[in-house]
Amino acid sequence: MATTAPALTPAASGYRSGLYEWLTTTDHKKIGILYVTNSFIFFFLGGLLALGVRTELAQPGLQYLADENLYNELFTMHGTVMIFLFIIPMLVGFGNYVVPLQIGAPDMAFPRINALSFWMLPLAGILLFTGFVTGGAAAAGWTSYSPLAQDRPLGSVGPGQDLWIVGLLLIGTSSILGSINFLVTIFKMRAPGMTLFRMPILVWTVLVTSVLVLMATPVLTSALVMLFIDRNYGGSFFDPANGGNAVLWQNVFWFYSHPAVYIMVLPAMGMISEILPVFSRKPLFGYKAFVFATAGIGALGFSVWAHHMFTTGSVYLPFFSLMTFLIAVPTGVKMFNWIFTLFRGKLTFATPLLFALGFLSMFLIGGINGAFSAAVPVDFALHDTYWVVAHLHYVLFGGSVFGVFAGVYFWFPKMTGRMLGEGLGKVQFVLMFIGFNLTFFPMHALGLAGMPRRIADYASDAGWNELNLAATVGGFLIAASVLPFLWNVFVSLRSGKPAGDDPWEGNTLEWATSSPPPPYNFDHLPEIRSERPVFDLRHGRAGSGH
Amino acid sequence: MHPLRHPRNALVIGVAFVIIAAVYWAVPYFGGWHLDYAGVTMLAALGIAMALMAYVLIAGSPSE
Amino acid sequence: MTSDSHALTTTEHSPVAGLAHDASGGISNPILGMLLFITSEVMFFAGLFAAYFASRAAAAPWPPAEFEHTLEPFSLVFPATVMLVISSVTCQIGVNAIRRDDRAGFIRAIGLTLILGIVFLLIQVYDYGLLYSEGLTVAAGPYGTTYYTLTGFHGAHVFGGVIMLAVILYRGMAGQFSSRHHDAVEATSIYWHFVDVVWIGLYTTLYWLR
Repeated sequence: MATTAPALTPAASGYRSGLYEWLTTTDHKKIGILYVTNSFIFFFLGGLLALGVRTELAQPGLQYLADENLYNELFTMHGTVMIFLFIIPMLVGFGNYVVPLQIGAPDMAFPRINALSFWMLPLAGILLFTGFVTGGAAAAGWTSYSPLAQDRPLGSVGPGQDLWIVGLLLIGTSSILGSINFLVTIFKMRAPGMTLFRMPILVWTVLVTSVLVLMATPVLTSALVMLFIDRNYGGSFFDPANGGNAVLWQNVFWFYSHPAVYIMVLPAMGMISEILPVFSRKPLFGYKAFVFATAGIGALGFSVWAHHMFTTGSVYLPFFSLMTFLIAVPTGVKMFNWIFTLFRGKLTFATPLLFALGFLSMFLIGGINGAFSAAVPVDFALHDTYWVVAHLHYVLFGGSVFGVFAGVYFWFPKMTGRMLGEGLGKVQFVLMFIGFNLTFFPMHALGLAGMPRRIADYASDAGWNELNLAATVGGFLIAASVLPFLWNVFVSLRSGKPAGDDPWEGNTLEWATSSPPPPYNFDHLPEIRSERPVFDLRHGRAGSGH
Repeated sequence: MHPLRHPRNALVIGVAFVIIAAVYWAVPYFGGWHLDYAGVTMLAALGIAMALMAYVLIAGSPSE
Repeated sequence: MTSDSHALTTTEHSPVAGLAHDASGGISNPILGMLLFITSEVMFFAGLFAAYFASRAAAAPWPPAEFEHTLEPFSLVFPATVMLVISSVTCQIGVNAIRRDDRAGFIRAIGLTLILGIVFLLIQVYDYGLLYSEGLTVAAGPYGTTYYTLTGFHGAHVFGGVIMLAVILYRGMAGQFSSRHHDAVEATSIYWHFVDVVWIGLYTTLYWLR
């Protein structure tokens, strides 16, 4: 371990480098920032697509769309972009930046593959969006069911759907390579003294997520190639008119896409689990229970996929309903872990904590409305209605996105050496929280009232008018909340308060080095005797000793 | 050695999924319902893959 | 096994004992990465096999009447299978050779493996031609689609393996490997054995189980 290295460039210039450096870097910190930035760009693009959807639905009657197929493209691309180009890579980006630091490693196990994984994403995004200018983007929903996704009249004729397939194949490959990178890094490159049960929770959640990615994503790959063969080589996998089986697509697709929702939320839960202890000045309640609950969610997540297919008539209903209810158990355990971390803590209501509290409350709602859907008769009534849209957005936006923003405010100082403004942060939180609930809470009622998903227009006497208008207003409020965030980032990068090594009095190793860290991460590692090595260092006592 | 360090214990996760696959096959088969061959195949393969992954990660980790 | 907690004890008596170890006693990073990649490939083929079994169950009779005798287990695929299995043996011989610093033995064995792999691919392509002339095409209903998809993606993986074998053969001839440094050889051989195992599964399923 070098103590001083006078010939090296000072830490502060570790991230402010030329374009060539950014294009060719293999440093996990820069790659992490690239991931986060790229993901935000797609968040805004996906958000614009959502505004397109909401504007059309604000009132009965077609508002501005002449062609309902364009509406199908809007919601298809919105879902696809948000899932594959925003939330999954965003969490990978945070993992990339934070995990090697938290385990005391100098970089990821395979730095060049890390860079390759990143650069496949903007390329895939371009391929996906090219559909808009080559005769229409993919328009069969992000779930791409056959026969709508097939290349036939009343289906998806034209290259848009094929571009969608190829884009997703690229993204899937990027993910799988990334998961191998994370697993080897976590298992092989931990600093001495950091046993598995002394790893920060974020590292554990990234570990489980990587297992899910490794196991589930290749199944999506197989489904996509089979669809490609159906569309382009006269294959007979999924098209009933050709001897195929439409439910087979759903089976193989959801075998990936259900674990995918845990891929989309577990790292965010890990981030929350880092943030709550710091801002409650208490260790995470029940570390081991949390680890086992996370592993349990990962494992159970593989056995519930057909709860997306209850209404097909080809599903063994009791098995999947039971397994789905079972998943609520470890998730509930985690809720209690978080709540008891806050309980009797010395709370500091900084922006990261606000977003973390937002996560807890909104994810709770999403979990509850999901538990309703696990009951087969309820799902029979609510499948493909706006109830499901409410559920998925409460867990993905209320959960993951709020978790992401909590992480942004928490780790921005480490990444850039500057604090984000608290005032603007609180403005963003309030606007986003209100906008989010205004958009998605009415969708519970809309679903119960029978409004189906994926329709461009609705009858004016269905009783859905006011709630749709409210949801549209909420959507624009969410869009507005992004503005103080962008302004905050812009201003803070230039003249934000200098952060120093450890502005939050953090617990984990990333706070034991400069902000931003030097390229090699650490000059000196503190002794590791618990999951809170920096806390132990600060308080000069032996750790909790496990 | 800690149970989590014994590579052979890592196979438990694979066995768990193979058991789930077996249940998923057996109940509809003996109960006369529609059998989801795709699901059985994917769950059984998951058991094999999980066992392999868990084994190499535990056996391949540095001992401490 | 003694209770000695020395780094090598964990792996000495395990199937991974032969693999290259780094200083801390674990499997080296690139080899661990390849093993994990293989688990992801298992799941890729799982999706394809899932589609096969589901299609087969839904489309009775299977094989369809017009293809009842098209896929014969002792046709050209039989010598191809034998060759692929032998190539796994020669590949392992090559790995064992370089573990002993026997560079000449390594080059011979990997060269033979490479040739066997290429011949397998050639036989496969020729066999496709024969099958096409008998009417079994990708578009010939689920039977044809699943056959070509499964064997085609397997062939693509063999092709990838052939490239890897060619690279390590070249590097071996250039003297880049020794008993202490040959991670790429270990990784390639693991991949090649996997490709072989998948083929055994495919051959059994497509030609015997039918």
